[in-house]
Amino acid sequence: MPRRAVSRTLLATSFVASSALLASACGGSGATATSSSGGGKNLNIYAWAGEVPDSVVKGFEKETGIKVTVDTFDSNETMTAKLSSGSSGYDLVEPSQYTVQQLIGQQLVQPLDHAKIKGLDNLAAKFRDPSYDKGLKYTVPWIWGTTGFAYNDKCVKSATSWKTLFDSKYKGKLYMLDNMLAAYIAGLQVTGHRATSTDKDQISEATSVLQKQKNILAGYNSTNYPQLLASGRACAAEAWSGTAMAKVVQSDSHVHYVIPEEGGSVWTDGLAVPKGAKNTTSAYKFINYLLRPEVAAKATDDGSSASANQAARSYVKGKAALNNPAVYAPDSAIAKADFLLDPGTAMQYFQQGWTKVKAS
Amino acid sequence: MTETVAAPPPVSPPPSVSLPPAVPTRRTGVRRTAVTAALLAPAGLTVGALVLVPLALVLRNSFATADPYGGIQGGFTLANYHELLDPVYLKVFGYSLGMAALNSVVCLVLGYMVSYYLVGRPPRRQGLLLLLIIVPFWTDFLVRTFAWINLLSPGGPVNALTDALGLTHGPTEWIPSQGASFVGLVYAFLPTAIFPVYASLRGVDPALGEAARDLGCGWWRVHTRVLLPLARPGLLAAALLTFVPTLGVFVIPVLLGGGKHQLIGNLIVTLYTEFRNQPMGAAASVVLLALMIVSLAVFGAAAGRLRRAQRKGGTS
Amino acid sequence: MRSLADRATGWLARGVIVFLYVPIVVVVVLSFNDSDVTYKWAGFSTRWYGVLAGDTDLLSSLRVSAEVGVASATLATAGGLLAAMGMARLGRRFRAVFSGGLFLPLVIPEIVLGVALLSVFGTLRADLGLTTLVLGHLVVTLPYAALIVLGAHGALDPALDEAAADLGCNAWQRFRRVTLPLLRQPLVAAWLLCFTISFGNIVMSTFTSGVGTTTLPLRVYSLLKGGLTPEINALGTLLVLFTFLIILGAGLRQMRRVLVGGDGTPG
Repeated sequence: MPRRAVSRTLLATSFVASSALLASACGGSGATATSSSGGGKNLNIYAWAGEVPDSVVKGFEKETGIKVTVDTFDSNETMTAKLSSGSSGYDLVEPSQYTVQQLIGQQLVQPLDHAKIKGLDNLAAKFRDPSYDKGLKYTVPWIWGTTGFAYNDKCVKSATSWKTLFDSKYKGKLYMLDNMLAAYIAGLQVTGHRATSTDKDQISEATSVLQKQKNILAGYNSTNYPQLLASGRACAAEAWSGTAMAKVVQSDSHVHYVIPEEGGSVWTDGLAVPKGAKNTTSAYKFINYLLRPEVAAKATDDGSSASANQAARSYVKGKAALNNPAVYAPDSAIAKADFLLDPGTAMQYFQQGWTKVKAS
Repeated sequence: MTETVAAPPPVSPPPSVSLPPAVPTRRTGVRRTAVTAALLAPAGLTVGALVLVPLALVLRNSFATADPYGGIQGGFTLANYHELLDPVYLKVFGYSLGMAALNSVVCLVLGYMVSYYLVGRPPRRQGLLLLLIIVPFWTDFLVRTFAWINLLSPGGPVNALTDALGLTHGPTEWIPSQGASFVGLVYAFLPTAIFPVYASLRGVDPALGEAARDLGCGWWRVHTRVLLPLARPGLLAAALLTFVPTLGVFVIPVLLGGGKHQLIGNLIVTLYTEFRNQPMGAAASVVLLALMIVSLAVFGAAAGRLRRAQRKGGTS
Repeated sequence: MRSLADRATGWLARGVIVFLYVPIVVVVVLSFNDSDVTYKWAGFSTRWYGVLAGDTDLLSSLRVSAEVGVASATLATAGGLLAAMGMARLGRRFRAVFSGGLFLPLVIPEIVLGVALLSVFGTLRADLGLTTLVLGHLVVTLPYAALIVLGAHGALDPALDEAAADLGCNAWQRFRRVTLPLLRQPLVAAWLLCFTISFGNIVMSTFTSGVGTTTLPLRVYSLLKGGLTPEINALGTLLVLFTFLIILGAGLRQMRRVLVGGDGTPG
């Protein structure tokens, strides 16, 4: 029966296909180690992609003999959900500043033992006693950046203010980050309020501005906006500094990253030890390793991100990054910038407002 | 049968006794139930433990309040449901239902045509074609989506083609737009529509179509009267598998549609993540679930009535 | 004589298959891009294949995805087949209830199910890893397998099974000799679709993966922040190429079998 023969071949084919796929993948892959009550021999890290460069991990493994597994996440909320399940198995996580507040509130991270940490004084002054974690009781800042906007000078002559993103002259060529907190930084600051505002009326004022802005936007985008700017399809776009944005600013002289004169905002991703972490000794070793200036400099050289480590700046090899505002914002520009904090109970106003904006 | 019996027994037993029992005895009934249970167990246990239990949790959470740090506080409140009555949310629900219906209709029509083509191929080639259809989807979803972005960008290949055909004049901005988003949806769900239709159309005897044709049925009638009704299980499956998951899609509308029009999927993801409001996200899911169950029931009842009406019409 | 309409349908179907490959062509072309970014062409280069070969993170993600895909697709297809056979033995009402239950996971948005499943795993103190990942994917793929197999099973002529029973076949023989051969292609279809869905899944993986079990789509998704490089295109190209080789191999083997004449298999 030909039909049967053929279908048998097919079944075999698909299994062969998949097992060969497996084999080919096995060939090149390193062993995926999971932590098994390791007495300091393993370290499991859950971090933003690209923010803990390979070179740093390799260097640490070589020096200590500890096997490091780095998994990456794409949003703070994913990481929080994993931690709250209580069986994530991670020893170090890398939350952003407003998430630090949530993790502390939900008691998902443990206080740091400062006696075991060396090198905190290498950190820049702005990060030594931040508003979201007074005295750095729970976190050690690692990467920082800003929320601002970028423009292409073939289309926008020059820009210093959020108003550019609300200018109907550029209708259909404007993008905003597809992120509520980021959108409200612009919305609140352009209406003359602080980005950290939790006032109901101020938030609703921002909402109506953002709602009106939607008509002139091409869209909301937090993925490929640097490309859109470089190709000129976006005249201006709200943007996060670091990685992708930094590369475009460096390679394309027409794209400029701006921290708006209204203030903009500073974010930072730091390291914290989750409750129930098994390999805390390794975790502290890694924190101390990252606090070394020459190691922290690799975050800039290999990750295109700004390090919270002030002492690291002199070790950075690619000096251009130090003057690239999409990596290191100049001190003068961030003087007015606040850390964006968890809105707490004001969240409901943001939720109602942003839903209105997105669904209108 | 014994041939050496000289004389029949004086009284022959009633025939029914010698025949195998028409009604299952108690023993075979138990056995039958046990086999059925064993067959249903793997899927049943999976659904019970990994779907119903979590679902109970979702139901419970939909009546809870969120704590300020994004956790769940417990308590009992109807506020989450009440808030969903806001016209803003109703609009999202309506838009999603429309988009999902449109997507599943287009996918179903294309899926049926491809399946019909497939079953007409020599059997040896059918499987290879199936593989050929699925292979593009082994390339990462984001990479494919970015490929679409490249294709549809102003001055890109599609633009060049439409320019050559005189449909457009010069660079045209197609992304982000609802149209691009729709193309992305159809692309993503095509195999999901093709596979079930193919699976059930394959079971249909090709001779039936031939016979109908020989009897003078036109192309249209062969399909609507003979093949489509026979492929109904597959078509229903395909309709379900495209319509429902479309409601939960959230990456395509953002990347290709510019995020200006939300589907329910976007809404719920936003509630779970950015808004840190799991209870309300849970409530929205429960409402979606209820909507689906009601519409499936209506759909099922309508299909059943249609089938009965057809059967009646067929016999008369 | 094939009608015009039939031929038109055939061309349309071919068109649809071509349509599926349109973005793939772009993926392949851009994998040979010398640029660091995918949106700009900077000359021909194969350097991204070299980068890919040395990228242990990405390759170990590929391995995780392949393992999870094979495991969950196999479990889902087997579960779906058994369920379809079991449901055929149920009364109408029970069948409706059971199928309703099977399709529930389709109706609940994945993120909701994922988060709920995560807290169930957490309550059970189950360590997140391959097992939880496979279970999560099983939940997502089971409805697809069940619906496809159910549809195909429903289209089978019950007379065949009865005939086999009349000929004295027991239940196992009927399954091996009648049901399974008739359902083989639908089963292949179900398995392929399930594997593909699992292989591309992002949301469920987000919540059920654990230490060292980041799947390929998760890895790629998190790379987005820094901008995707042609390396991912190179990986996609290799996967497509690899499958084509297998298709070609299988095709040649079949052709040889036809030429030698040993087309039929015993039994």
